[in-house]
Amino acid sequence: MVKEPKIKKVSPDEPLESCARQIIVDYFRKMMSYKEGAEEGADIEFVHEMRVTSRRLRTAMDNFADCFPEEAFKKHHKKIKTITRIMGAVRDLDVLIVRFQRELDTLSGVERADIRGLIEHLQCEQEEARKPMLTLFAKLEETNFEKKFLKFFRK
Amino acid sequence: MAKPHKITGVEPTHSYRKNARVILPQKVEEVYSWEPFIWEAARREELHNMRISVKRLRYTMEFFSVAYGLRKKCSKTVSVTSDKRFAEFLEVIVDWQEILGDIHDSDVVLEVLADYASQSGNQTEQDAALPGVTKLIARTQESRKADYKTFLEKWERLSATGFKKKLLSFLTS
Repeated sequence: MVKEPKIKKVSPDEPLESCARQIIVDYFRKMMSYKEGAEEGADIEFVHEMRVTSRRLRTAMDNFADCFPEEAFKKHHKKIKTITRIMGAVRDLDVLIVRFQRELDTLSGVERADIRGLIEHLQCEQEEARKPMLTLFAKLEETNFEKKFLKFFRK
Repeated sequence: MAKPHKITGVEPTHSYRKNARVILPQKVEEVYSWEPFIWEAARREELHNMRISVKRLRYTMEFFSVAYGLRKKCSKTVSVTSDKRFAEFLEVIVDWQEILGDIHDSDVVLEVLADYASQSGNQTEQDAALPGVTKLIARTQESRKADYKTFLEKWERLSATGFKKKLLSFLTS
């Protein structure tokens, strides 16, 4: 696992706006630090971490929306929502596959056969679900999303 | 999935600490807006929505944990007590999230198994042509039932002690 950026503690007596900027930037950086691992696909934890961090980031953005100009904020928020949704589709299948693989040991030979069929079916779906994720990652690069996001929230 | 409730009353120029006391109670209310639906086990969608709202509350509490700790002029004792109470409330929220997560996982597994059975030409879950699927459906239904029962028991126990009122009172103090 890559070394993830730290989430720095904010000072509770600071104005909300500056804290909100710091939290959003920190979570964004943390989320993006999992992108490469998620792209490779060798370890399912990268997709999991990227999804969870995107959810935390969205919660922060929902809470602190009033600190930012509405129109540009909405665009960034929408993109993070897309990241959560696409990562979610891959993660849900990862979890199901692992769960059914674990169940195999608890089943008899004849019972195992159809669960193996189900696992193969889910693995095909998983391959399909990774395609939109890879397309999204390429689009984030192409559009310089990371730079634009950080520029907006760093101020 | 239901959208988060719109947060109102936030003042960007006011302190983080002050805004915590505006935002967190609204997150608690969002969780409790699903309470009328939890008494029926079949309310899958609403239980799922409650889980998402609980997650939002958990993350928001974690962001704001620093706003419930040491105040500059407070004694050490006050700070420790406050931190401890915050951690205890958060522990309950994490517990709700986990158990609602288990219920949701079971619902998803049941849906996947039923879909697979019907795609494979087996119309009912009892169809013995897919014995593994049939067995896992039965097993998952049992664990879903047990998790739901545990969730309700925990919820009722906390409600009887006035948990919501205590949580709101702490978060706005």
